[in-house]
Amino acid sequence: MAAHQSTKVLYGLYNDEEDLKQAVKVANAGHLDIMDVFTPFPVHGLDPILGLKESRLHYLGFIYGAIGALFGFGIMSWVFTMDWPLMIGGKPYWAVPAFIPITFELTVLFSAWGMTLTFYTICGLWPGVKAQTLDNRITDDKFCIAFDVTDGADDTALKNFFSRTGAAEVNIKTL
Amino acid sequence: MNLNAQFEFGGKLKRVLLGGMVLGVVCLALSFVGDDEYHTRFWTNWLHNSVYFTGIAFTAMLFLSAQITAFAGWMVTFKRVWEAMSQFMWVGIILMGVIAVGVWGHFHHLYHWNTPGISDPNSPVYDEILAGKSSFLNPVWFTVGVLGFLALWYYWAKNLRQASVDQDTMETAALDYNKKQRKWAASFLPIGGFLSTVFIWQSVMSIDSHWYSTMFAWYSTISMLLGGISLTIMLLIYLKSLGYMEYITQNHLHDLGKYLFGISVFWTYLWFDQFMLIWYANIGEETIYFKERMTHYPVLFWGNLLLNFVTPFLILMRNDTKRKFGTMFFVSIIVFFGHWWDFFYMIKPGARIAAFEAKEIAEGRFSHHTGATTLNDHIPAAAESHDAPAHTTVATAHDSTAAHGTAVESHDAPTHASTGTPEVHANASQAGTHGEGPHDVTDAGHGDGHGAEAAAHHGPDKSFKLGYSFPGFPELGLMIGFLSLFLYFFFWQLSKAPLLPAKDPYLEESLHHDTGALIEGEEGGHAHH
Repeated sequence: MAAHQSTKVLYGLYNDEEDLKQAVKVANAGHLDIMDVFTPFPVHGLDPILGLKESRLHYLGFIYGAIGALFGFGIMSWVFTMDWPLMIGGKPYWAVPAFIPITFELTVLFSAWGMTLTFYTICGLWPGVKAQTLDNRITDDKFCIAFDVTDGADDTALKNFFSRTGAAEVNIKTL
Repeated sequence: MNLNAQFEFGGKLKRVLLGGMVLGVVCLALSFVGDDEYHTRFWTNWLHNSVYFTGIAFTAMLFLSAQITAFAGWMVTFKRVWEAMSQFMWVGIILMGVIAVGVWGHFHHLYHWNTPGISDPNSPVYDEILAGKSSFLNPVWFTVGVLGFLALWYYWAKNLRQASVDQDTMETAALDYNKKQRKWAASFLPIGGFLSTVFIWQSVMSIDSHWYSTMFAWYSTISMLLGGISLTIMLLIYLKSLGYMEYITQNHLHDLGKYLFGISVFWTYLWFDQFMLIWYANIGEETIYFKERMTHYPVLFWGNLLLNFVTPFLILMRNDTKRKFGTMFFVSIIVFFGHWWDFFYMIKPGARIAAFEAKEIAEGRFSHHTGATTLNDHIPAAAESHDAPAHTTVATAHDSTAAHGTAVESHDAPTHASTGTPEVHANASQAGTHGEGPHDVTDAGHGDGHGAEAAAHHGPDKSFKLGYSFPGFPELGLMIGFLSLFLYFFFWQLSKAPLLPAKDPYLEESLHHDTGALIEGEEGGHAHH
């Protein structure tokens, strides 16, 4: 969906993560199409019932890390054996054990930065982006299920769903 | 789900374990006969397995204590396994007691510091270094540091288990006994954590009695901990296969797998730290330890890294492998064997030198010197210019190299001081052709030709030998024997209390433990959309 197009969202707030998990199961059983779920902290066991796929970010993390390791080890090997050989403490020029800590650090650096930047890019989080939240309390103590109702279809079924599953509050917001 | 199930230590399992113990006794006898005159192979095998399996019992207690202190609930369903494992320290006192009796009675020569007269300046075997360490490296401290501390730890383990078993008698789940357990657990952390270093220094590190490393105790305690975690994983999978503990799920296994992975990396970190600091500082009396092992025991040295770092690192990196029972069992076998191998590597090469030193003393060939690794000792051979008097400090670039060349064979440095000089030269020039690092000591192999020649005459035997350079059949059989002893004791202890601490207030958390991992294609891992 295009970012400039406004989205009308119907959302319900729950007080407890167990209520939320139960509600998601009910929504699945009733074939209701959940747009997204927002929680103040990661709720264990929620991802599988939402049908989310395993993230592929860690594959990239491995690749970034491998690049960092090769880069770090490679540049040190090149500098100390070919470009500018320096005798340090009577060690051989190609002092592999001494390279390991820096290789390790660059592995971590590349892996962490690579994954972070990839994640930001995928989520569209670049500098200057304004955060759009449904409700400020979903970062505090409320658990939210949101439905996309932009098409203006009858939302009685959704409202019934919220009242049946014990939502504390039901609101509509246009983002 | 039967929450009151009790483990039944059946006849078949008992027979198998007794058979394993018989195999162990046979292998012990095999390594006793056909051994050198000090039965070095027999004693090192005994020490090796005793330390490893006692250490596993100790780390089971340490790990359980850490979990309880941290208010952890995920492991409650199987904490009886750790409680039962920790009780083996009682047997450990007997196993290590045999070594202690040997120290007092001089039945073995594992520890060079135990030579009579070693700290007496008038004795022909006087050793300045060991005299300096004799206030710690002596039979009394050995007994306190090994047996005394084990007894102390066992006392804690016994009481912690008692508080847990007593909890079962309560009407409802309440925190009373948990508070009691936490007191025993929290107080064990400093007691076990700090005193384990003394245990290790006395029993393992002092085999290389001139050598020391600050990292050693952490590194080898972590080695024991990995032995304990891998054994826990194997035992849980085995108990499940017998139909017990159906409440142990992939999620418990996943978290144990994370520990196995993370602590394996931590072990590597400690191992590498110890290696790199010594390699970089390049102080002869420290470098000799790795020089010895890399040159003469390359299979042990590199195999150690392969078994304990590369394998668990690559296999356990993905999160789905940590949730598969078969894969986890396989990795656990490798890691368990790997850390047994690690202790083999720590003990065997050093004990071979200690036995040689004992033989030298017995034959009266042990010429007076002021300790195998003092710098003074190296100077005669290190004097590379012919006009340098033997006692002048040689401050040339070749100094450390040459000093190290002799450090390898330092026991007999004075004996061949005259021939030593040209050999050192030869080696130094060899190293020069080796590449850019004429001063590299760990790489260039100084003193090798020198060492081989010396070995032919009067050096310790460093040639490839089963039981020292690589575990032979008696060693493997003995490992099975000790493992059987450990498991026999473990299953017996396990059968004495219900498998599940049903009145533990954290039980529900453990029964519903969920790591939140999302695995493709796993059972129940998909929503019914």
